[in-house]
Amino acid sequence: MKRSIVRRLFQIISLILGVIVMNFTLIQMAPGSLLDIMTSEQQVTDPATLQHLKHLYGLDQPAIVQLLRYTWSVFSFDLGYSYRQNAPVFDIIMAQLPSTLLLMLTSLGVAVTLGMIAGVIASVKVNTAWDVVISLAAVFFFAAPTFWLGIMLIIFFAVHLDWLPVGGMTTIGGKFGPVGQVVDVIRHLILPALSLGLFYAAIYTRVMRASMLEVFSLDFVRTARAKGLSKTRVILAHVFRNALLPVVTLLGLQLGTVLGGSVVIEAVFSWPGIGSLMLDSVMSRNYPVVLGVFVLSAVVVAVANLLVDLAYYRLDPRIRSR
Amino acid sequence: MTSHINRRVFLGTSALAAIAAGTSLCFPPAALAQEKPKKGGVLVATWGGFEPQAVFVPGGGGSSPLISSTKILEPLLRQDSQAGFLPVLATEVKPSADFKSYDIVLRKGVTWHDGKPFTADDVVFSIEKYWLQTIAKAALKNFSGAEVTEGGVRVSFKEPTPEFFFKSVLATSLVIPKHVYDGSEIVTNPANNAPIGTGPFKFKQWVRGSHIEYAANDKYWDAGKPYLNGLVMRYWRDAASRTAALEADELQLGIFNPIPTPDIDRLSKSGKFVASNDGYLGAAWASTIEFNSRRDIVKDPAVRRALLTAIDRATISDVVYFGRAKPGTSFVSSTNPKFYNPNLPRYEFDAKKAAKMLDDAGYPKKGKSRFKVHLLAAGWFEENGKVGQFVKQNLEDIGVEVTLTVPDRATSLKQIYGDYDYDIALSNYAARVELVPQQTDYLSTSGIVKGAAFRNATGYSNPEVDDIVAKMSVESDEAKRKDLAFKLQEIAARDLPITVLVELIPTTMMSKKVKGVGNRADISADSLSDVWLDV
Repeated sequence: MKRSIVRRLFQIISLILGVIVMNFTLIQMAPGSLLDIMTSEQQVTDPATLQHLKHLYGLDQPAIVQLLRYTWSVFSFDLGYSYRQNAPVFDIIMAQLPSTLLLMLTSLGVAVTLGMIAGVIASVKVNTAWDVVISLAAVFFFAAPTFWLGIMLIIFFAVHLDWLPVGGMTTIGGKFGPVGQVVDVIRHLILPALSLGLFYAAIYTRVMRASMLEVFSLDFVRTARAKGLSKTRVILAHVFRNALLPVVTLLGLQLGTVLGGSVVIEAVFSWPGIGSLMLDSVMSRNYPVVLGVFVLSAVVVAVANLLVDLAYYRLDPRIRSR
Repeated sequence: MTSHINRRVFLGTSALAAIAAGTSLCFPPAALAQEKPKKGGVLVATWGGFEPQAVFVPGGGGSSPLISSTKILEPLLRQDSQAGFLPVLATEVKPSADFKSYDIVLRKGVTWHDGKPFTADDVVFSIEKYWLQTIAKAALKNFSGAEVTEGGVRVSFKEPTPEFFFKSVLATSLVIPKHVYDGSEIVTNPANNAPIGTGPFKFKQWVRGSHIEYAANDKYWDAGKPYLNGLVMRYWRDAASRTAALEADELQLGIFNPIPTPDIDRLSKSGKFVASNDGYLGAAWASTIEFNSRRDIVKDPAVRRALLTAIDRATISDVVYFGRAKPGTSFVSSTNPKFYNPNLPRYEFDAKKAAKMLDDAGYPKKGKSRFKVHLLAAGWFEENGKVGQFVKQNLEDIGVEVTLTVPDRATSLKQIYGDYDYDIALSNYAARVELVPQQTDYLSTSGIVKGAAFRNATGYSNPEVDDIVAKMSVESDEAKRKDLAFKLQEIAARDLPITVLVELIPTTMMSKKVKGVGNRADISADSLSDVWLDV
């Protein structure tokens, strides 16, 4: 197990290298540069000032030198400086990454919990009204665009019922104790986590249902039943545990997509995550921030996948013995 | 029969609603004047765009940092909604008889937010180290010196400098504290993320990705103001969410088109919200059309006139902008109270006439088409792409083949202003009342700077225009300047290197309880010191 963790660390390093080189190349290939954006916004026309800024941003060097310099600085734990935000890239991202992670993990939690429960019910009550309703709901939430769902939830719960806030992460200027603050964040988290979570819950429901049904048909389940075990025990101890593997695999794969999906939700709920930062940075060709976000996200996703692998060990003894 | 009744009912209610909307737009400002401002409350405001890059971007940085910084930092003067000037940090600005120097009398008893006194040194530093280096380099090209005098600052010029022009510079340039910025690179100073100013609001906190929080400056020089206890600038990337926030009273003031256009009417009709078009004189937004003088066919003014005649600008205003725009008639906005020339040739939409004009210009139809053009619609506003579709259709109707591209922001900037890689460009500008240098740079030869955005990208060069621009920069007689501006617009309307396709009518949307918004040329740059909440 130690060996596989070490192997994983090497994989993460090469992954980061790949992320840097690929994204740097893509940004270089896109027409227009940070200099174009900044000088147009600041209405700079003086050739001497243009040259000064170009030098300041380090854009007067060949692309390969910029890439090597950047790669070196990343591996010495420095993500560079963003002239656009007038602050170190790491500080900018860390101001917004935690809230994205919170949203991401909560919605994945919502998705997995709802998805598993719904999937189990649908498979146990297969071909009944339960199954039909759950399957229809799954199709609906999978098909509904997340931003539309978000707006609908806002209009219903925040504007009409006035139960929950329309956006943001905290009540601005609100003075609460430590517990009050947590409650405040949770209140703000409910709608965005639901909008994002319901979409993924739909996928988990489908996968869980299919996986459960498959395990139900296996011999050891029949044996367990023949032994006279209760229905609940068969479902939970024998079927559920074995049906979990595909769900866990999916969870690992989806950590990356949730990060992407949160961009839309962050826009709708003005959630202070890295979604808008990423969009702005791509639009303004601000490559230190774009690469910084990608590098940090790659680390997050890689670590999450490492955790998923560790979960495999727990769930399936056969993997442990390999 | 039923449909008939429905139609009548529909017409009746919509007429009523229109009257209601009309009254809500007309009456409050008159009533406002008598109301006594109340103190207290925190106003949550937003605008129709994104979060700023930094709270204060010394070089300008667009609308967002202009909005976020002007609550903290102040200019010497400000412009009112009739293009007159009101005192801020300067109480008086007096030109010398030959207009070669100005005496600026500074307000006494002003302190920076960190407690240090505001002095003439701060103004001299701002002019020499900040304005002349970045924001007003072109505007102050005749500058010869700034010195501290008794009671203020004297600014001298090598040539006569028109009063309206100089005061416009003063009204749009912020004064920064010398003790914070001296000896550092102004562009990257950490104070730009937490500015220290003299304004009615102090910087409190910036939660990136969410909002900027301001506290009232209780030592503000204008005693009794600001009326608000605090101010929050919040940022939503999604316009529909801003509507929801207004309806849930989590947002009270949204400037510069904060919500989707159809929602503007719906909210105004509810009676709880006010829509206003006041406060955009100093930022007259327009959608422009630019013809590349370097390209064979469109360099001919006769072709340009024909193409403009072929474009149905009224339909574009109605459909793309939901009626919140109107066809342009000059290169200068029709809202400009000082320089707009209303007596110019109009290029009213007439496809047949346009086709005839192209025939006469020597481009008859050969087979199905006359010639091919590359139409570039700058993708920084969603509407530009739609305008592009309309223009493409209009031009194809008279036999012009059109390749339409709608690149993203960085690519558009590079193609229009860097590579000049287009025949016809659909772009935008926000114009001030004063034409020199921003607007004249679109027409003058000196405005051609490769890679510099929002300048003369068309390559249009006309000695007559250059001469007029040179005269406008040093003419101190207001009437003569106006004549020069009129002449400039005549030439622009004749040669059409660039013109306003449609003028946009930006909207401010606010809760009815927000009072005291108004009488400013540019609401984005207003410090909101006069705004109060009626609760």
